[in-house]
Amino acid sequence: MLLVALRILFFRLLVAVPTLIAVSALVFVILRLLPADPAAMSLPPGATAEDLARLRAALGLDRSIPEQYLIWLGDLLSGDFGISIYFRRPVADLVSTALPNTLELVLSGLLLGVIVGVAGGLLMFRARGGRGEEALDVVSSAMMSIPEFLWALLLILAFGVAVPLLPFIGRMAPGMMTPPGVTGFLLLDSLIAGRLDVFFSLLLHLVLPAVALAIALAPLIMRVLRASLVEVAGDDFVTQARLRGLSEQRILFAHTLPNAALPTISLIGVQAGFMFGGTVLVEVIFGYPGLGNLIVDAVRNHDLPVIQLVALVYCVLVLAINAAVEVIYLLVNPRLRTH
Amino acid sequence: MSAARFLTPRIVVGGALIAALVLVAIFAPLIAPNDPEAQELLYVLLPPAWAPGGDAAFPLGTDSLGRCIASRLVFGTRVALTVALTAATGAMVLGTLLALLAGYFGGRIDWLVSRAVDTWMSFPPVILALILLVGLGAGVDKVILAIIIVDWTRFARVIRSEVLVVRRRDYIAAARLAGFSHLAVLAREVLPAVAPLVITLLSLEMGIAVIVEATMSFVGLSVESDVAAWGVMIADARRSMYQAPWGVVLPTAAIFLTVLGFNLLGDGLRPALDPSLRTRGAR
Repeated sequence: MLLVALRILFFRLLVAVPTLIAVSALVFVILRLLPADPAAMSLPPGATAEDLARLRAALGLDRSIPEQYLIWLGDLLSGDFGISIYFRRPVADLVSTALPNTLELVLSGLLLGVIVGVAGGLLMFRARGGRGEEALDVVSSAMMSIPEFLWALLLILAFGVAVPLLPFIGRMAPGMMTPPGVTGFLLLDSLIAGRLDVFFSLLLHLVLPAVALAIALAPLIMRVLRASLVEVAGDDFVTQARLRGLSEQRILFAHTLPNAALPTISLIGVQAGFMFGGTVLVEVIFGYPGLGNLIVDAVRNHDLPVIQLVALVYCVLVLAINAAVEVIYLLVNPRLRTH
Repeated sequence: MSAARFLTPRIVVGGALIAALVLVAIFAPLIAPNDPEAQELLYVLLPPAWAPGGDAAFPLGTDSLGRCIASRLVFGTRVALTVALTAATGAMVLGTLLALLAGYFGGRIDWLVSRAVDTWMSFPPVILALILLVGLGAGVDKVILAIIIVDWTRFARVIRSEVLVVRRRDYIAAARLAGFSHLAVLAREVLPAVAPLVITLLSLEMGIAVIVEATMSFVGLSVESDVAAWGVMIADARRSMYQAPWGVVLPTAAIFLTVLGFNLLGDGLRPALDPSLRTRGAR
């Protein structure tokens, strides 16, 4: 069973390689349409044309686009990710500090969204046919019409400004030291270092951004789960379970829910990929030092090496999540296992 | 064809919201109480007229440069609806065209379109839009172009699989046997069959386009910074949101109502337009 899953995971990742190459080429070509010259922008005022030519040659900007792409791809494969034009630091350093922060945010948002979404879906199912369902339906429609970054602003207004309950700027309280990096994941590192104060500060700073992401995810899960629950509830095996005298609670959790879970799982997979998109502006609004903040800064400053790598990292994350969800889907769906 | 099946709560509420916004956009100069660009530096960060300290000349208060929030909101509908209409229509035309070709002819063109969709889908859409705006340069016309280039896949993916189903129906074969050209079959038999789905997706895509435009003007990659657009208003008001939260709340509410309108309309139109869903519901 596990072997099958691993084999499929491996196969999916293998298939993802051409997609990655296509994506990297696409990103590279789009960025080379750029009307502004990033080299000229990064020079101090008063630089001469020779300075510009020297910098362009040093950055490789004087070569043809296919040549530049192949050089960049070659460097990438040999582990050289380039130097940021704007931050003047290795791009690999920037990404490796930002990536764990974004992953912590997405995982918290996902966890929260799934819990609320599944609970809401069950609630809608229980209340089906009544006023309660209509009310939940309207609420979920309304929730879906506000994008994550506006939820972020509204949450700041509600719980940061009006009722100052939670912090809403940065990753931890100002003045706190980053725990020594063992894993790069600050939550883990602070626990390893035994700094509970830092851990709780990190956790508190994660609440509002994660809630903003979860609010966008939960209503989708609610609706899909409700629809599949209603569909499965009409099946014969449910009626049979009822005739056997099982409690409604038991029928729901032991029979209906497991059989209705599949569409929800594949929805979560698709949405988890999209959630990385949602983090971009949420991170900007909360001043959260993740990939989203990094790419927006890079976009504002035409920092091509950073944009290229961060875009590629996002792509790897989405493909990895898709592959993982496919494996989970397979593990829980007995009908697909024989293939 | 009875009109009654279009009178569902979703379509009525969604349609009314969108109709009201369209009217506001068309008659913006008549509705707006003030010039949206005029700065009254003596009246900075006024609260709405009904709140203590409000001024009746500025019904919804002023922003940090003393500009009338109500007037800016009213003129902001123009940016939002222009982008919604042009970008969503563009994405629809491109996506539907490629989906029809891919689904109907199959073979190499289907392979190409499907691979392109896969590649596009392996990216969060926001990231692709950001990268495109770096390459194309900032501006609301570039945002429209970026939305078309990013979101055609939303149409292509769904409509292609619908075309695959429709293509195998008997009446398509009958049309071919009757001597219709491929083009005629596509235009007269396949397109009408997928049209309900296309219209539904179009309405939902308009909501998405409004959000993307607001996002990009929030980051400063869409309209010029002095143009009244909701995203720009939110970005400006964010700096003074401690003293003046309504500056953030009001444009957020405008975006919410617009997107809600398009979403309700899209959700409502699907069952109303699709005969197969209707009979299933009646059973």
